[in-house]
Amino acid sequence: MAGIPHDHYKPASSIEKWLHDRLPIVGLLYDTLMIPTPKNLNWMWIWGIVLTFCLVLQIATGVVLAMHYTPHIDLAFASVEHIMRDVRGGYLLRYLHSNGASLFFLAVYLHIFRGLYYGSYKSPREVTWIIGMLIYLAMMATGFLGYVLPWGQMSFWGATVITGLFGAIPGIGEPIQTWLLGGPAVDNPTLNRFFSLHYLLPFVIAALVAVHIWAFHSTGNNNPTGVEVRRGSKAEAEKDTLPFWPYFVLKDLFALAVILTVFFAVVGFMPNYLGHPDNYTQANPLMTPAHIVPEWYYLPFYAILRAFTADVWVVQLVHFVTFGIVDAKFFGVLAMFGAIGVMLLVPWLDTSSVRSGRYRPLFKWWFALLCVDFVVLTWVGAQPAEGIYTWISLIGAAYWFTYFLVLLPLLGVIEKPLAPPATIEEDFNAHYGAAGSAAVKSAE
Amino acid sequence: MMKEMPKTIALLSTVAALALAAAAATAQTQTQTDGQSQDDQSATEQYLLDEPAPEPADNAAEVPSATEDADSGSMPATGAEAETAQAPEAAQTDSASQQQETNEAEAEHAQAAGHNEPHVEDVAFSFEGPFGKFDEHQLQRGLQVYTEVCSACHGMKFVSIRSLAQEGGPHLPEDQVRAYAAEFTVTDRETGEDRPGEPTDFFPKSSLPNAPDLSLMAKARAGFHGPYGTGISQLFKGIGGPEYIVAILNGYTGHEVEQAGTTFYENTAFAGGRIAMPPPLADGQVDFADGHANDVHHMAEDVAAFLMWAAEPDMMDRKRSGFVAVFFLGFLSVLLYLTNKRVWAPHKGKKKSA
Repeated sequence: MAGIPHDHYKPASSIEKWLHDRLPIVGLLYDTLMIPTPKNLNWMWIWGIVLTFCLVLQIATGVVLAMHYTPHIDLAFASVEHIMRDVRGGYLLRYLHSNGASLFFLAVYLHIFRGLYYGSYKSPREVTWIIGMLIYLAMMATGFLGYVLPWGQMSFWGATVITGLFGAIPGIGEPIQTWLLGGPAVDNPTLNRFFSLHYLLPFVIAALVAVHIWAFHSTGNNNPTGVEVRRGSKAEAEKDTLPFWPYFVLKDLFALAVILTVFFAVVGFMPNYLGHPDNYTQANPLMTPAHIVPEWYYLPFYAILRAFTADVWVVQLVHFVTFGIVDAKFFGVLAMFGAIGVMLLVPWLDTSSVRSGRYRPLFKWWFALLCVDFVVLTWVGAQPAEGIYTWISLIGAAYWFTYFLVLLPLLGVIEKPLAPPATIEEDFNAHYGAAGSAAVKSAE
Repeated sequence: MMKEMPKTIALLSTVAALALAAAAATAQTQTQTDGQSQDDQSATEQYLLDEPAPEPADNAAEVPSATEDADSGSMPATGAEAETAQAPEAAQTDSASQQQETNEAEAEHAQAAGHNEPHVEDVAFSFEGPFGKFDEHQLQRGLQVYTEVCSACHGMKFVSIRSLAQEGGPHLPEDQVRAYAAEFTVTDRETGEDRPGEPTDFFPKSSLPNAPDLSLMAKARAGFHGPYGTGISQLFKGIGGPEYIVAILNGYTGHEVEQAGTTFYENTAFAGGRIAMPPPLADGQVDFADGHANDVHHMAEDVAAFLMWAAEPDMMDRKRSGFVAVFFLGFLSVLLYLTNKRVWAPHKGKKKSA
């Protein structure tokens, strides 16, 4: 694999040779595990392992939960209580699963923003980036489907609101919504298909994760300098890299253990902190909750959805230009999906010749503002859509699009980037001293 | 490099062994269905038969005004707890909290004029925080309040009677749980005949169709959102469900409002300020065998604690699992840190200041 020259697996015994001639699976695993990895990766490169762990955790706990859960509108809520009260360790499984979703999204946001800062999306890693965004979309869908399953008030009304987004598409919207719901409103057919899809999508994600890993193993990892590993010879590459095992496996496992310590404290001591109390009331189609709030990880995009009301001039302009086809509601839906869409296009929106944000003096500040913007949007998404909050979400949404559609293309032209180090080795030694490589030589 | 490997492997195997131990100690994921499967199934069937009670669209109408049988003797008496319930330490704090209560009452009167903002006071419950534990005696008193007052209208259909014997809960002796269950009349799902209740039965559902079920009430309501809706206070004080219950029970101002033939009662803790449930508690209404204070505020605290247990019966187990997991994972982190440092050491020189 990988264009970086390194040692490959050589079958030693006759059994190994026999297998290798028929299925080179050991070689595949060896090359995957021993991939040369830039040795200057910092602590923001640990989220991939955390995410992989989350996927495994969610599938493992989810499969057991599904053994005790009943996807029927009259039984779902009771079966969740059955898990919480009568299944041994059931409360722990369920709390791990529900809080596991939060850890999953926390990790994916940090992973995405790391990629945005260090230019991990830039050539030649566009495919890795796009597959990553597809994984993120599949995660959003899976999380939403899963939140409907306990059949609490927020499950029901969240499902009503989110499927209503599709109903906002002019003309074909309502048939699509009916098709998604399996009827005119959220009901038993909805719960049944959501359960089925909630079980299916994680395996789609798992397959996409495999392709994601395959893709960046072909191009090699990005790194904080954005400078490529030297590939002229094996000896040259080894100055820039260390094998994934044991160096990065151990580093990642250490980070994972620290994160899991915090995670288990949340599960053990405050498992309902991130949930919504209304979801402990069984779904009631006749009673709308005072505030319908999605889970925290959807809030930034929920805020963008709500930001574009009918009194915003852009919305009015689009409404006029499209002869009324795009109304405020549909505009909001387009904005929400567009907010993710612009992230998908970022490899072609960023015009800078330098990959890493570390060497881009102007970019740095706008990127920091984007991070602040993301936090503000998350916060404002949980507030009622009234008064000052509508203004804050509108400004937040406007900056989101400005960053991707105006600033990224523009900065590449007007910014004068600093000179990145010539090699990864140079960067590494600048941090840890050249003594490091000398010690390696003597040890070898 | 190669010389280092055996040491690394030794360290790693220690780490792996610890990880396994942590998993075994905390996960407890063997799901148990045998033994309980029968009552689980019957419970599930019960919900299949239940028509979901349609609650009125107006959420101010949580309970209609009927309370004629609030004191009727149809519910089992909890004399059973008399022998076990002793709470000397609780009695000592009474005068202090009574003082606090009068202050709160004044505050609530002041609030009563502008009753649109729900008003919930923090209560220092024994079960809050990672080290918090349910007070067995308080739960038993709460069960008594629930049985003698709340259960006239409300039900707790998700809570099994056998769980009253649970350690980390009310922890009643088995014979008392059996006696408590026998006070109920249950229609057997297999024979279709009436029989006395058994510990494997569940608490009845609400007898008034639109009195909400109380099984999950302490988790289904939030007491705090502050400051400024950020929810940070919930980190330290919990979501505040039990506080909300205490506030509702103490939030009556004494004013009544006729609306479309229904009487509503002004309540400072209820969203909208008017609740359909008449004041359920009066000072001295329930006599505790342990002689604990039985004014409205103390009874409200006891029943709120009991409902918290009913909503989260395994809370003590959960916190214990949390400590075991945090301890092992913390230790694992230290070992992995040291392993990682050692493995990387030959490749790193002294870290430069920049």
